[in-house]
Amino acid sequence: MKRRIEIGLLYSRNSSYSLISEACRSGALAAMAEVNADPGLDISFAAVERDPGGNADMYGPLCEDILRETSARHVVGCVTSWSRKEVIPSLEKLGGTLWYALPYEGFEASDHVVYTHACPNQHLLPLLDWALPAHGRRAYLTGSNYIWGWEINRLARATIAAAGGEVLGERYLPIGAVDVGRIIAEIRATKPDFVLNSLVGASSYEFLRAYHALGLTDAHFRADRCPVLSCNLTECEFPPLGEAAEGLISAGPYFRGCAGWPGAGSFGSAHEAASYAAVRELARLLAHRPGAENLPLAQLLAGAGGPVDPGTHHTSLPVIIAQVRGGAFRVIQQRGVVAGDPFLSRSGVAGAQPLRVVS
Amino acid sequence: MKRQVRIQNLGGARATILHRPHPTVQALTRQLVAIGLVVDQVWPELGPEALAADFIFFDADMGYDGQFPWAAGAAPMPMIALIGSEAPGRIEWSLQIGAHAQLLKPIGDNGTYSALLIARDGFDRQRALGAEIADLRRRLEERQTVVRAVAMLAAMGKTEAEAYAQLRQMAMAWRISFEDAALRVVARFATEAGDDQRSRG
Repeated sequence: MKRRIEIGLLYSRNSSYSLISEACRSGALAAMAEVNADPGLDISFAAVERDPGGNADMYGPLCEDILRETSARHVVGCVTSWSRKEVIPSLEKLGGTLWYALPYEGFEASDHVVYTHACPNQHLLPLLDWALPAHGRRAYLTGSNYIWGWEINRLARATIAAAGGEVLGERYLPIGAVDVGRIIAEIRATKPDFVLNSLVGASSYEFLRAYHALGLTDAHFRADRCPVLSCNLTECEFPPLGEAAEGLISAGPYFRGCAGWPGAGSFGSAHEAASYAAVRELARLLAHRPGAENLPLAQLLAGAGGPVDPGTHHTSLPVIIAQVRGGAFRVIQQRGVVAGDPFLSRSGVAGAQPLRVVS
Repeated sequence: MKRQVRIQNLGGARATILHRPHPTVQALTRQLVAIGLVVDQVWPELGPEALAADFIFFDADMGYDGQFPWAAGAAPMPMIALIGSEAPGRIEWSLQIGAHAQLLKPIGDNGTYSALLIARDGFDRQRALGAEIADLRRRLEERQTVVRAVAMLAAMGKTEAEAYAQLRQMAMAWRISFEDAALRVVARFATEAGDDQRSRG
């Protein structure tokens, strides 16, 4: 007889970033189905779903709804960092835990969140470490207008400046906005060595299609001369990109068909893999421990071993840099397995030094 | 001017928590360790090893002057007050002792990272301003030296404006401050005067 445990799912299935939501959701549901079918585990998971519809203001109330109206203490969900920050107060108030399976900008280690995807020492810093010598140090930065884009570009600026490079331009679009003309015009005017794209969802698709079109008219803007780099592009967003995906370079813990992902399974994208891994790890922590589903996260993790660092709640992940060629990611560089270092306290990043007064 | 906060070198920094054993210390320690700091807790007094700390967190509720091995307001590192009771007297004491930032008790899941950065930035600015003020003060005190140096140079047949310009040229050539150049000029005249006397004697 299995112990039935409710698990919250909090994804916006109808939003400008719904492809990412669907990838995460299917990874989580696949893991739940496996757990439920496994006779060796004494637990079964039942998903309780809420859909904020892409409205950042709905995440907090709906997370609270899960924690108040159901027995679920663990919620798998959130795509944007904005939404993650919105649910943390609800988690604190009601004693819940969020399993967050997306790359994010770091500088967070909540008592109530487990981070199963990459933070900057696992995506941005290795990506720039590879890109600056390979392509040059003149960059154009773009991103969605919230904390993910801001912080990724702040770190990129500091890293590029420390390497003696130059940021030629930096521009943001609100989530869902598709007026990319100004960004394209600025890139065309400044002719950078590479573009760092931290746009999310529909804005990103529109930008990448327009940039692809620019490359067709001016060879400078093709992937071999001025590639577009990203820390959040995965296979799950190929359909709206089509040909425009060719040549894009991404850093992540998993790419379809690439070796290195810890544990079994083959996934459509890193988002799917990280959500799957979150649910499997949760099952491992709860199985054969009746009542463990109600423990605070710190007690659940204490002495349990496993991939989640009990200090930071981040995970060790493979760091892979890959480029889209022929409709699939091909590995450019495999940089081994790296522990998540959310505050970059062990990663030895050269930060920008403040100006000193000399007299 | 856009101010840039030093962000990336907290790893391995040492924080000392001056607080009696308490859940406050545990919650604060968890946050500090996650950020990458090395933490120790002491009570009731900071020992000599406190001088090696990069940050001091101190209890504003039970704290008193004698806990600190330095004069009030003269801590050699950033200090963060742990405030439970927001009684005006306690806040006043925290400021006197030299708080650069504060955290409210009970300490929960966050707040420490921003307190670290804000305290360090405040401490850095205070120290830079202190150095600048000391330098300006010293230069003010050297006004008399400047007047003497200009007079000495003018005595060699220059107008006062020319002597002043010459002193500025010297400072630039020697890459020292105007006041230090004046000191050198005065010292040189004094030496030459001494030599003259010896040769005459």
